[in-house]
Amino acid sequence: MTGTWTTVAVESVQPCATDVVAITLAAAGGMTLPSWAPGAHIDVDLGAGFVRQYSLCGDPDDSGRWRIAVLREAAGRGGSQRVHDLVRAGDRLPVRGPRNHFPLVDADRYVFVAGGIGITPILPMLRRVAALNRPWTALYGGRSRNSMAFVDELRAVPGGELQIVPQDESGLLDLVTPLGGAPGEHSVVYCCGPEALISAVERASAHWPAGTLHRERFSAPPVTGGGGAFDVVLRRSGVRLTVPEHVPLLDVIESAGIAVENSCRAGICGTCQVRVCSGELDHQDDVLSDDERDRGDVMLPCVSRARGGILVLDL
Amino acid sequence: MVDVRNVRGGDGLEPIRAEIDELLDSVVEATATATEAFFASYDEAPDPARLAAWLAPRCWREIDYVYLLNEEIARYGMRFQRRHITLLAKQSFQEAEHYDMVGKAIESLGGTVPTSVPAEAEPWSAFLWQCLDRHPLAAIAAWNLSETSASGSFEPTFRGAERHGLDEVVRIYKRIETDEKFHVGLGLQMLSTYVADDHDRDEVLRAMRGMRDIAWKTFTPESVGAAGA
Repeated sequence: MTGTWTTVAVESVQPCATDVVAITLAAAGGMTLPSWAPGAHIDVDLGAGFVRQYSLCGDPDDSGRWRIAVLREAAGRGGSQRVHDLVRAGDRLPVRGPRNHFPLVDADRYVFVAGGIGITPILPMLRRVAALNRPWTALYGGRSRNSMAFVDELRAVPGGELQIVPQDESGLLDLVTPLGGAPGEHSVVYCCGPEALISAVERASAHWPAGTLHRERFSAPPVTGGGGAFDVVLRRSGVRLTVPEHVPLLDVIESAGIAVENSCRAGICGTCQVRVCSGELDHQDDVLSDDERDRGDVMLPCVSRARGGILVLDL
Repeated sequence: MVDVRNVRGGDGLEPIRAEIDELLDSVVEATATATEAFFASYDEAPDPARLAAWLAPRCWREIDYVYLLNEEIARYGMRFQRRHITLLAKQSFQEAEHYDMVGKAIESLGGTVPTSVPAEAEPWSAFLWQCLDRHPLAAIAAWNLSETSASGSFEPTFRGAERHGLDEVVRIYKRIETDEKFHVGLGLQMLSTYVADDHDRDEVLRAMRGMRDIAWKTFTPESVGAAGA
């Protein structure tokens, strides 16, 4: 497993867009670095307890160098600001990996959707797909042209159809054209970007076959128990309850004296599954299938919530 | 009901998913067959001491999992997401509960709760700990297959125990069955999340293949005979 920490040298730190730096890392002493495939990321120990994950966005065939790109996030938790303020060429950084939770699967056709710094895992994917002579479409959106990294490199990728969409010039990405029609056979969609973009792609591709959409978020989805308050009606018990923000639905149901069998309380085992009579669901579990989620008639109250309004459960 | 084999994680197992499914399916079938055979023999000679002896390696598995899970956390925990450390610890607590529950069932049958590894469980235990030493994910793979094997024993156990009015044994294993879904799902999620390369996949398959050849054997009627019960 590539789970051990090693130290690499910072070969260069270069601005590549507004608030974005591209950092090239090299193995110490001219050694080779572990191989990686598009979609892979590394952990970088930035010191002071800051460990962050960054997608590799260089050339997988270059065994001597890795490249990452980091957006300064003023509203972040401080990791990206440390990169921008402290990391310089000649420094040494502890890194771990690469690991790949977002691998490129084999398909006949590819649709890529990237928002902002979400372009980083997509860029090597695009190059790989182009090298395989597979048809591709790529949509890349950002706040403004200056904020969008690697545009020139993307334009140099042969074949396919590339759309560069700065929001201040052209508005939001048009997801209907590439995703709204009939899904192509053996086609896949790859999306990386902020939560709002991923949600929009999920909605636009909802009629595509289950498993078609591959997505990677900048950050984890909303934490368990997060989300706003809502009301739940337990139909058979005749009880109406308020589920406060940050309190799991299952806790509220149990507090009302209604037992729901459960085990993990983490959205893995499915034991607490309940039938949903009505309500808009915010599924946060790890085990329901895409079809089950889409049907909206069951949920796991240990981690999942309603998106507001009133949720009615068959309890 | 959900199928925890579909738990979301990474794509690390995808290249070997078909073989893993085959291994898991085959051990469930072998364990179910062995459990049916045990209760068929128990129907002919319903001796509570023999049932207690049959439960002893099951009981040992529970406490050995406690030791192993905590060692997994101690050795390798910082490689995992904090959420997974928490869930491993939760699984460990549930395994300790299972040791206590199965222990009470054994005592109710007049048997003795094992406090060291029973002879018939030694190959299972030795292989599990060897896997832990070999690779951070190998023990997870081995216990995942072992936990999955146990799922093959539940239905035959319920039917067999019900035939003999052993309501407490049924109740205990109904609770264990529920928790096992979590444990199996967690193991698969961790494997799919942290398996990164072919070496990892080779270690996972080695662990699962090895455990596939061991896990079901203590469910057979012969294993009780070999234990001298």
